[in-house]
Amino acid sequence: MNSQESTALARIGQIAINAHDVDRATAFYRDVLGLRHLFRAGQLSFFDCGGVRLMLDKPEKPEFDHPSSILYFQVGDIRAARERLKAAGAKFEDEPHVIAEMPGYNLWMTFFRDSEGNLLALMSEVARPS
Amino acid sequence: MNATASRAGMAHAIGIDGIGQISIIAHDLPRATAFYRDVLGLPLLFTAGNMAFFDCGGVRLMLGPASAPELDHPSSILYFRVPDVHAAHEHLVNRGVKIEAPPRLIARIETYDLWMVGFRDSEGNIMQLMSEVPRSSQPSSAA
Repeated sequence: MNSQESTALARIGQIAINAHDVDRATAFYRDVLGLRHLFRAGQLSFFDCGGVRLMLDKPEKPEFDHPSSILYFQVGDIRAARERLKAAGAKFEDEPHVIAEMPGYNLWMTFFRDSEGNLLALMSEVARPS
Repeated sequence: MNATASRAGMAHAIGIDGIGQISIIAHDLPRATAFYRDVLGLPLLFTAGNMAFFDCGGVRLMLGPASAPELDHPSSILYFRVPDVHAAHEHLVNRGVKIEAPPRLIARIETYDLWMVGFRDSEGNIMQLMSEVPRSSQPSSAA
């Protein structure tokens, strides 16, 4: 293994998400978002999202007590996914809309809140006939 | 429909494939772009206006200013996988990156040890390197 290989940041293994009520957040990520719950370890609750682990955690220090980064979840059909999430109780901020015209596809997004007030998004890449 | 059936049906219907993108607020985009490209070594995909997009193993990182005061807060901690946590730590130290604490064994999982080292990016966000080291090939202690 050369130096470049051994220090390469190959991919994201885990993302921490603040939750003030880990039980409530676990229910949201499992039952509303439909993500696979991996395990619970005390105040930590772990989910799998396409090979990336999400760690719900109560902030240990005031410095860490801030909202999550916006995570953009990929879905095939953004309108259907939004309807399902909305019916399950997720609060949406807007309607699905084209946020960017990329080479070959349109990028659709719509934003919602998790049970902890974190802003999250659904995204979908919709092929554009050339 | 009982709760279990409802849950399974919901997961299937929503069909989240994975995380496509993560936003990271950058107060100084050239500084943050230099950090993620030159220090972390992530491929810069493209820039668009005051935003820069990087690839990290199929997940896009979007660096840019907060679009609302409410969103102007530190990033979630992202845990970047590296093959060798000690070599990667040394790489960051040599480039003047602020390290939170030396690499440490966080958890002993069934077949591997989970090592992590925390650092700050150019914008002050706490990030982590993580490495799953099989029990048969323990890293030498760099301490």
